[in-house]
Amino acid sequence: MPAEQMGNIPKRLRVIYAVSTVIFVAVLAISPIRDHFAGWKRYEKGYAKFASTRANSRQLMADYHSGIDQIWLPKLNVTDRCTTCHQGISEPGLLDNSVPQPFRAHPMIPHDVRAWGCVVCHRGQGLATKVKEAHDTTLAWEKPLLPIRYIQASCGVCHQDSLPETPQLNRGRELLVKFNCEGCHRVQDADRPAMLGPDLSNIGAEVSRAWVYKWLKEPRTISDSSGNVVVDGYDTNPRMPQFRFKKGEVRNLSAYLSSLKSPLVESSQIDPSVAAAWRSQSDLLSYGELRFRQMFCTDCHALAVTRLGQTELIGGDVGPELTKVGSKVNPDWLVSWLRNPQAYLPHSQMPRYEWSDKDLYAVSRYMLNKLTDPQLLGDVPTLGPATPAEIQHGRQLFNSKGCASCHVIRGTPPQKDFGPDLSNLGGKTVSELFFGNAKVPHTLVAYIQAKTSDPLSVNPTARMPQFHFDSADMDAITTALLSMTGTPTYPGFALLTVPASQPKFDPAGEFGKLYNRFKCSVCHSFNGYGGTLAPDLSFEGSRSQRPWLVAFLKNPQTLRPTLTVRMPQFNFTDQEANTIADYVEMVLQNPLVNKAGVNPKDFTPPMASLGKQLYFVKYECQSCHTIGSTGGYVGPSLTNVGNWMDAAWIEAWLRNPQALIPGTIEPRRDFSEPEINALTAYLLTLKQKSPAGSGATPGGSQ
Amino acid sequence: MRRYALLLAPLLLAALTACRAKHSARKPDPLRIAYDTEVDWNNADHLIPLDYQQSQGKRLFYVYCVWCHADSTPAGPSNRPNLNPAPHLIDDGTVLNSMSDTYLDNIITLGGSAMGKSASMPPYGKSLTQDEVRAIIAYARAVAQPPYHKPARPLPQYKAR
Repeated sequence: MPAEQMGNIPKRLRVIYAVSTVIFVAVLAISPIRDHFAGWKRYEKGYAKFASTRANSRQLMADYHSGIDQIWLPKLNVTDRCTTCHQGISEPGLLDNSVPQPFRAHPMIPHDVRAWGCVVCHRGQGLATKVKEAHDTTLAWEKPLLPIRYIQASCGVCHQDSLPETPQLNRGRELLVKFNCEGCHRVQDADRPAMLGPDLSNIGAEVSRAWVYKWLKEPRTISDSSGNVVVDGYDTNPRMPQFRFKKGEVRNLSAYLSSLKSPLVESSQIDPSVAAAWRSQSDLLSYGELRFRQMFCTDCHALAVTRLGQTELIGGDVGPELTKVGSKVNPDWLVSWLRNPQAYLPHSQMPRYEWSDKDLYAVSRYMLNKLTDPQLLGDVPTLGPATPAEIQHGRQLFNSKGCASCHVIRGTPPQKDFGPDLSNLGGKTVSELFFGNAKVPHTLVAYIQAKTSDPLSVNPTARMPQFHFDSADMDAITTALLSMTGTPTYPGFALLTVPASQPKFDPAGEFGKLYNRFKCSVCHSFNGYGGTLAPDLSFEGSRSQRPWLVAFLKNPQTLRPTLTVRMPQFNFTDQEANTIADYVEMVLQNPLVNKAGVNPKDFTPPMASLGKQLYFVKYECQSCHTIGSTGGYVGPSLTNVGNWMDAAWIEAWLRNPQALIPGTIEPRRDFSEPEINALTAYLLTLKQKSPAGSGATPGGSQ
Repeated sequence: MRRYALLLAPLLLAALTACRAKHSARKPDPLRIAYDTEVDWNNADHLIPLDYQQSQGKRLFYVYCVWCHADSTPAGPSNRPNLNPAPHLIDDGTVLNSMSDTYLDNIITLGGSAMGKSASMPPYGKSLTQDEVRAIIAYARAVAQPPYHKPARPLPQYKAR
């Protein structure tokens, strides 16, 4: 267009041009204006204002990052802008509940915030710069913050072994194992054990059809005085969940299971002269109860006790609770079982005791006559003999209901992956979850809890049975499930995974036979493998004197004043006790304890009397340890320590207890070497008059 | 007039979107966002929220201290009645609130006899780390009844007689 014609542009066009220019500029301005008023800018100004009120404001402002602050760790795939608002996150001076959020410092944890980022543990959207987008779920941002209550799940993403700092996670993992979740589900890093629930191949020999019927209807048999099922505690929950069977299904399943009956391998015969001898005496059952208590069956098995209207289970939860066992089992089966549990259930944890026929007869009669409940099978309809059609149908149900996932019946292979894979449940986004009709917030935590507490609320046709967890257990299980985020997406994460390590302690030879027969590792631990019910025996050979050990094995005494659990009396023969002592003294040694380097004869009476002064006056050891009948309840009784412990062990222990038994609560002190010698000299003089075991009466309080 | 309106409309819109960012402050339930909780020993219905440090202190307390500084223990009877003078309960705010953090730290790390108190309290300075001792003190402060309030000025380390 020639220049002289420019003025000829119609006015209308010019106006349109002018207006569109203004609109264009205004639209362009939206973004910078929004940016200027962005939420994080308010926090930026707010932090500067807040910092000026603090005593160390100069230092706070020196550490201050203006603008969008970002933690960028390419190896971990971390790009977190959380510190844009959470400015004080690594300021130790701001670690105080009076500091307003979002400026408060992070609590002291073993990991440095700036070296790990935030989203690695807390989840949420690290790239977002708006409060809602960073913390919550929106359409585009799908990974909300993990509630702090379940934050231990994030520790479990990398740490596969159990840390002392994460009790809730550890408990959750234990519960996943205890309730056999891996029977039906694939659970992260857990190989499916060969057997989870009891082998049912010969269940018809153990229990009646009526009992199976009752058990399938409602496995929780302990009720309080008002008839309510007691489910308030961890121990009162049988591992068997409640299935939703129809009446006919229970009938058919009970028919099938009770038809699985073959002769018992181990004899159930008791010498007739034993029974005959008891016939003339009336105290058979009370003798049976006494022996039941003396054998410390309650270390592993619980009994329901009602006190002041409150029913609670007293005893361990290694084995099943036995309150109503007399109404459950077949008398012949019980005798055969007590003689040799592994003959019936090869994977049983119960030791094979050396019973005399007298004890066996009395204890089994006590259990069959006293541990009963006449009402137990009261609501079971008359079932009659099983018909072939019922058995046939029951066999089908056994597979289709998932029973085979936990229970083995010879000839019925267990089903693999019966339930959904849970190994990456904790990493799922909300859009991957199906909530069905569940009236719960659409979050991963609510989904997990709805599925676990009431599977039907999410999916009315779910096959999953009903478990009964209290809220603490539910939180623990949720934490453990949230920690299972599947295979790490980034190579950096895979490198961080700390595997669970628990090398199996499986000794060979003669000791190995006894170890497997008496199931030592159910209660004792050896180099980190085994149970926690009883002392760690990793270095028992360095600790105890051999004659004491043999006497203890023959007749175990409790070493702690207030302990109600005690090692059962296994009735070892002399040869067995010596085999065990040989192995313990040879193998279970700590290199810090040099038995040959300490001669007990070097400890003189003057040293012992000085040691006594130190023990009672300077260090007040009696606050925690008992000698005779006086002293404290915290440590073991030292009444017989002169016979019990080796001098070299005592010296090494006084130098540094944690070096011998990591995690022991005995504090490490600053004893001088002469003090250690004097205390050892005194402790070695503490000897019970009668050798351990022979004088004391067996039995304990309950 | 219409022209101005056309001009102003986008500006107003932009201003409105910018101001919308003010969100309503949420008040979350302290128990739901707590790392852990502890039951008030004097009132079973009262749950005390604990933060990370306090919950680590709770864990350590139940391993090391509960045997003498509580009236019941996970393993049965307490050792407290065996001791003279009787140890203070961990939640006894009437006594502990007037002691400074430094004083409590010293009593735990150096033991009772070093601080002119009963030798029944052993020193834990070699068994517990500094962070662990601080965590136990933080736990004691959290469960104190009557509640503990941090003093504006640090308390003197020794009480004047």
